[in-house]
Amino acid sequence: MKTNTMGVILTSEDKIPPITDIRANAALPIAGRYRIIDFAVSNMANAGVTNIGVVTESNYSSLMDHIKSGKPWDLDRKNGGLNVLPPSLEQMSLGSIKGNIDMLAGIRDYLKRSPQTYVILSLGNMVYNIDFNDVVDKHVGSQSDVTVVYKNIKGAEDEELSRFTLLDFDADGKVSDIEVQPYYPKTTNASMELYVMEKALLESIIDECSARGDRDFVKDALVKKMLGLRIYGYEYKGYMDKIDSMKSYYRNNMKFLDKEIREELFNRNNPIYTKTKDQSPTKYGEEAVVENSFVSDGCTIDGTVINCVLARGVVVKKGATVKNSIIMQDSVIDVDVDLDHVVFDKEVYVTKGRKLIGQESYPLAISKGTRI
Amino acid sequence: MVSKDCVAMILAGGQGSRLGALTKNVAKPAVPFGGKYRIIDFPLSNCVHSGIDTVGVLTQYQPLELNTYIGNGNPWDLDRSHGGAYVLPPYQSAKAGEWYKGTANAIYQNLSFLDGFNPNHVIILSGDHIYKMNYREMLKAHKASGAAATIAVMPVPWEEASRFGIMNVDEEGTIVEFEEKPANPKSNLASMGIYIFDYKALKRYLEDDERDPESDNDFGKNIIPTMLGNGEKMMSYKFEGYWKDVGTIQSLWEANMDLIDNPPKFDINDRQWPIYSRNMALAPHYVGKNAKIVNSTVTEGCSIYGEVNHSVIFGAVDVGEGSVVRDSVIMPGAKIGDNVTIEKCVIGADAVIESGAKVGVTETEDNKYASKYCTHGIVLVEGGATVLANSDIPKGSMIEQE
Repeated sequence: MKTNTMGVILTSEDKIPPITDIRANAALPIAGRYRIIDFAVSNMANAGVTNIGVVTESNYSSLMDHIKSGKPWDLDRKNGGLNVLPPSLEQMSLGSIKGNIDMLAGIRDYLKRSPQTYVILSLGNMVYNIDFNDVVDKHVGSQSDVTVVYKNIKGAEDEELSRFTLLDFDADGKVSDIEVQPYYPKTTNASMELYVMEKALLESIIDECSARGDRDFVKDALVKKMLGLRIYGYEYKGYMDKIDSMKSYYRNNMKFLDKEIREELFNRNNPIYTKTKDQSPTKYGEEAVVENSFVSDGCTIDGTVINCVLARGVVVKKGATVKNSIIMQDSVIDVDVDLDHVVFDKEVYVTKGRKLIGQESYPLAISKGTRI
Repeated sequence: MVSKDCVAMILAGGQGSRLGALTKNVAKPAVPFGGKYRIIDFPLSNCVHSGIDTVGVLTQYQPLELNTYIGNGNPWDLDRSHGGAYVLPPYQSAKAGEWYKGTANAIYQNLSFLDGFNPNHVIILSGDHIYKMNYREMLKAHKASGAAATIAVMPVPWEEASRFGIMNVDEEGTIVEFEEKPANPKSNLASMGIYIFDYKALKRYLEDDERDPESDNDFGKNIIPTMLGNGEKMMSYKFEGYWKDVGTIQSLWEANMDLIDNPPKFDINDRQWPIYSRNMALAPHYVGKNAKIVNSTVTEGCSIYGEVNHSVIFGAVDVGEGSVVRDSVIMPGAKIGDNVTIEKCVIGADAVIESGAKVGVTETEDNKYASKYCTHGIVLVEGGATVLANSDIPKGSMIEQE
């Protein structure tokens, strides 16, 4: 158990309109009943990390509501626990938060008073299920100053690779090059934006960077210090992806219909926890037809649902057909509605007989609370 | 310490022996119900929604699972600094130490617990009934009447009245007579086993009752009749909603079926009065390409590849390809293989029904698995038991773990 390690999760700045209009990317609902941040927090909690700070940007109310006391992750602790760390209003009003170093600088006090020796730093919005125990063990047992977790996504197209920070290694496995989202990718080693280092090192990096006006942890700190720091990679072999666009958001939700990925991400030994809502089981009516779908509790289904991910409390009425879609909490699909390739934010109401069709490459996304 | 207006005591020590193998290792209040709940979730959720934040749960028979389930009371919002949920098993004291002899004795043995909160009123509940009820309304009526005790009653069909404890009341609802299972009932108002007492009166009667060596130390048999005999003011409180005692396999099965009728006889999808339960942290359920689910409830963690018809499926249940589950209750973690047929069954938690088995389909005169608990052709498979591949388990069987 990694009681000597703390976690710091920075919510990323990637915007996915319209679903990030009202919430931080990390608080995006995914796989029916989860939020993206649940993967990082649960993985840390499963490794025995009991002090986790979640550093937020401006849109943090839904994140705070989600995390609250940290109870679902068993992180409502006297010491440490799960802490939401909002940005300082002063910094925000001066417009001085321009990069993740500024965000980290805002939590200096929190870092300083945390008693742990090591820190796991998460900068991305990723979906994965990783054993942080092993990552930290490998880091502690090695000569590296910073361990960066990556996955070799061999065979991925350039366009996909360009979404990631790509790493290259020398013969000893030491990181020899880091390129942040290069247009022409040279390697297939995608950084998962998870870093393990001594807390003292992180503190000195923050201090040095902010003193010099540097803004970015990767571009300014790691890239510029590559020669002086021993940065090594930790190869993760499981499923992972980054949620940085509507396309990847849609695709990653649909991945949960794949048995292997579902069983890998939601396995009993490394469970993913989330806030509970105490909804009753989902009820299927007389005329329900459901195929290849991932359905949360509290839904009432009387229509047809094919290849969908339904969050809690969704209502699909008689004669309605929903295909290839992601429907967030408490949306209502009325009688005889026809939906294909849509992404509904929470509490969307589609009235009787309407038809909405998106495309796989461009799912039709509807904002929270819209009535159609 | 600030006194509490009303403290609840839930009697959860009963075995529920008529539930057969279902209560071999757990007390009846811990029996799974309704897809993701246990029976005790209903009185606990009712308490917290009624503004009662101090609840003693009296356990005795097989308490381990129930104790762990209740834990610190957090799932019901009952982890409080002053009050909350308390599991109260029988204990040894310097003078004596004994099991709970009866319902009244169980409360008597915990008078010091109640004294600690110095409540004005105590509500006594049973841990084995399924219903939603606002106890606050009942408490209001109790206070307004100034009675020493108020007993919740509900009208039952006249032909069934002789199976219940019947209250004969006057026009104002004052109880004039109590008859336990009368042959010729004068009223059809049955006691629901929900009592609100003025705490001082209750304490006095419990202490008197304890001194009586002839007493069964039971509320229905002793305390209520004695209070009536002494001319105490006793009021009835009429409840008109859904209420079910799930004391037998058949009534447990039926109460589960009541949830999936259209419209349901009992609505658990009620956002105004949600039933809380301890959460298993499972992913949403997956419905496969060839699956068919109608008139059923399914919850988190399930993988359904076969057909589910008019059934209640609990968490983390697998139903394999080509299998058909009809009119059944499948408890958490049960694994149903491929090409299995299950009809009118109660399958216990973590039971395994291997591929090709037929359970509850065939009818035989001479059934070696027949059980007196399994009436109406219902089959009960004990939690953790395995039904071997291609076996044929006839209607009315009880399959126990080896």
